[in-house]
Amino acid sequence: MNAPVTDAKSSGALLELDGLTRRFGAFTALSAVDLTIRAGEVHCLLGENGAGKSTLCNLVFGMHPPSEGEMRVEGKPYRPVGPRDALAAGIAMVHQHFSLVDEMSVVDNLMLGRVRGILDRRGWARRLDGLAERYGLALAPFARVGDLSIGERQRVEIVKCLMLEPRLLILDEPTAVLLPDEIRSLLGVCRRVAEEGAAVLLVTHKLAEIREAADRATVLRQGQVAATSEAPAREIERLVRAMIRRDLDTLDSAMAATLGVAEAGPAEKPDKPKPAEIPAGPDVLQIDNISQRDADGATRLNGVTLTLRAGEIVGLAGVEGNGQSELGLILAGLRAPDSGRLFLGEQDLTGRKPTAFTQAGIGIVPEDRHRVGAIVDMSVAENIFLNRTGDFTRFGLLRRQAMYDAAAEMMQRFDVRATGPDARFGRLSGGNQQKAVLARELTAPGLRFLLAAQPTRGLDVGAVEAVYALIREAASRGVAVLLISSELDEVLTVAHRIAVIYRGRIVGERPSDPRHRNAIGAMMAGQAAPEEPAISEKAA
Amino acid sequence: MSASSTLLGTGRAPLGLLVPVLAVLTAALAGIALIAMLGVPFRDALESFVDGTIGSPYAISVSLNRSVVYALIGLGFILANRAGLTNVGGEGQIAVGGIAATALALQHGVGALPFGLAFLVPLLGATLAGTAWGALAGVLKARIGTNEVISTLLLSFIAVWLVYWCVQSTALLRQPMTSAATLPESLPVPEATQIPLLTGDAAAPVTAGLLAAIVLAVVVALVLTRSRFGFQLHAVGLNPTAATRAGFSYATTVVTALAIAGAFGGLAGGLMLLGEQYSLRAGFSSGYGYDGLVVGLLSRGSVLGVIAASLLFGFLRSAGISMEMGASIPTALIQVMQGLIILTVAGAAYWLDRRDAGH
Repeated sequence: MNAPVTDAKSSGALLELDGLTRRFGAFTALSAVDLTIRAGEVHCLLGENGAGKSTLCNLVFGMHPPSEGEMRVEGKPYRPVGPRDALAAGIAMVHQHFSLVDEMSVVDNLMLGRVRGILDRRGWARRLDGLAERYGLALAPFARVGDLSIGERQRVEIVKCLMLEPRLLILDEPTAVLLPDEIRSLLGVCRRVAEEGAAVLLVTHKLAEIREAADRATVLRQGQVAATSEAPAREIERLVRAMIRRDLDTLDSAMAATLGVAEAGPAEKPDKPKPAEIPAGPDVLQIDNISQRDADGATRLNGVTLTLRAGEIVGLAGVEGNGQSELGLILAGLRAPDSGRLFLGEQDLTGRKPTAFTQAGIGIVPEDRHRVGAIVDMSVAENIFLNRTGDFTRFGLLRRQAMYDAAAEMMQRFDVRATGPDARFGRLSGGNQQKAVLARELTAPGLRFLLAAQPTRGLDVGAVEAVYALIREAASRGVAVLLISSELDEVLTVAHRIAVIYRGRIVGERPSDPRHRNAIGAMMAGQAAPEEPAISEKAA
Repeated sequence: MSASSTLLGTGRAPLGLLVPVLAVLTAALAGIALIAMLGVPFRDALESFVDGTIGSPYAISVSLNRSVVYALIGLGFILANRAGLTNVGGEGQIAVGGIAATALALQHGVGALPFGLAFLVPLLGATLAGTAWGALAGVLKARIGTNEVISTLLLSFIAVWLVYWCVQSTALLRQPMTSAATLPESLPVPEATQIPLLTGDAAAPVTAGLLAAIVLAVVVALVLTRSRFGFQLHAVGLNPTAATRAGFSYATTVVTALAIAGAFGGLAGGLMLLGEQYSLRAGFSSGYGYDGLVVGLLSRGSVLGVIAASLLFGFLRSAGISMEMGASIPTALIQVMQGLIILTVAGAAYWLDRRDAGH
């Protein structure tokens, strides 16, 4: 299965990678990768986080030089020393992070850096309309980019690339930030670009997208090509095996959800813990009518009210940037809300210090692990006991050895893999970092409420599973859990009940049931929840 | 900056030691070359260099007293720097320390206090004055986010001019004007308020300040590497948000750290005044605060580094004065050498950090 090399002349190979290797210090991110991308195809690049997908894209786009190996475009050697060379060779890339000026209009963003002298806004607007028609990328030319949704902003980025008439369009994990509808339309755009004769390299780790859009697929694992497929839609199982070295059947439903195979893959297994049964414990956390404005005076949270009961996992679904971050900071005690109150049991925590939150029994797995959750330049042990250094202090002196011993125990219990308790936190993989943070927050004495904000972002499949297991275990011993996530599948899998946040408001609530998927998706997009037919009919 | 918390302050001890040694050698070679270019016979230069530094018990003592001042400023600097703060206000903290020490020492009755309180009370006053001066910058930072580099520097200017005011106005500390030739300086402090000499011999006037500096160096090393407070400083310095979330108060940490740095500066000012100068004069701090800041920077956060750098700077300063008098070599030469050392060490540090970040 390791023979993707095809004859360039016969198959219309657009881009050929030959033994491409990239090392960062002692770490080999990409090792002797052979890959051919043909004109007119949508080529999916699959792999877990850290498998080398982004490195490969960056090499092709000229962001780093390869350590070894060579690239050819239409048979001719291609050695880019920067994105400029890539663009000159007809290779354009949409990065995960957008580079748009929010304050400017769509057209102005398109013209940025590409025009001189007199600005022909109307002409560019016409070009935009032409492209919109050709590819189905509707955009209002004079809308302010800051007012657009994430999906529309991504469209602007794609149009920026398409205006260059590229021969190869690279999309680095474009669907991670999109709503289900937006994903479908994006995949449609990919198809049309391919039909026009260009190639699309689509980076993803969601298998449903491959089924829908891929002509061919390549799987990377640990920097090497683990599999290639000429008919990926029919070979999903083989690709999954190559990606995670495991069979699809043995995946639990949570994992299937992160991979996106739950809906399109084999029928859901009946052994899935039924989420519908909501534990009826006493109320633990009460978020009462909390509002918050940002420094510019824009309302970020607008009368959020939510009550969590003991043992209950509530999912807070929403597209990123709808107030989840602000709510997370308030629940961590790092910001006081402008108005409204926060109760844990009978205790009013509004405006109290983080220490009071921790003492009251609030654990936080923050969305920004590196800024809020941990100190990357300190050791794993120091991070695990960051809020409990007092336990290891005698006469003001910190007994590090005792702390490291205790940390070693915790690392074993929570399966945190590192060279030792003294390993630098920043050196750990994302999954192990998250497990270390969870170890700290879940072992806090008297834990009653856990906030898990985007807890699996950037984690590989195995770690995702572990994080879900830890969250479920906490709930089963009576902790109320608020799971903030922008992955609809994730909340559907883990939560008992789902609240949807849109523009700082809770716009609706549903039991966690896949049959409500469309209604929840619509609410996430800011549409009123559609009238739902009785669930029993829909389930048929 | 290096994150490890060994006594050396860097996780790469061999390079961490090698770099400053090479820097000093480079600077020494450059200094020799410059002396040759000035046309001064090398033997004359060397002779006056030795005379000023290790040529006599007196020279050694004076150099050690200078090193003590540098060490105190440097220790305060690395402690605050552990919390991510850059205290460039040593000069001002020395100045307010000197004012407070003079004012208290000249206070009626203080000279008559028993059990060494005669000099301990003014020293304590100097320390408290420095503490307040440092804490002020801390409060400004914690409350309204003023960058401490700016605030400590500006507070230094204020303090240095306060000294001028004090010695110009008889209502403050200026000695009574008996004639038009009365110098703008304070009365000399009573003998009882002067810091005792360790040797008890004016031919080797090294003061008890040396003991204080040694004890404080040990304490700071312990605090930085072993104590919970040191951990708190480190945590806040590396990541204020995560540290706050873990229950360490940012405001308290910042104010305390800068207050301690100020206390070290105030103590240094008190020691300079009561141990060496004995009367307050305009500009008496003469750049010790800024050189002490450099000592702190060169040490890269390690107490041993502070000790080594402060000894080097203390003896070099003596050498500069002696070479100017003995061999007509401008003291600026020593400043050039100091500058070279700083450039070399800073450059090497930058290179090491980049190399570390490279993989």
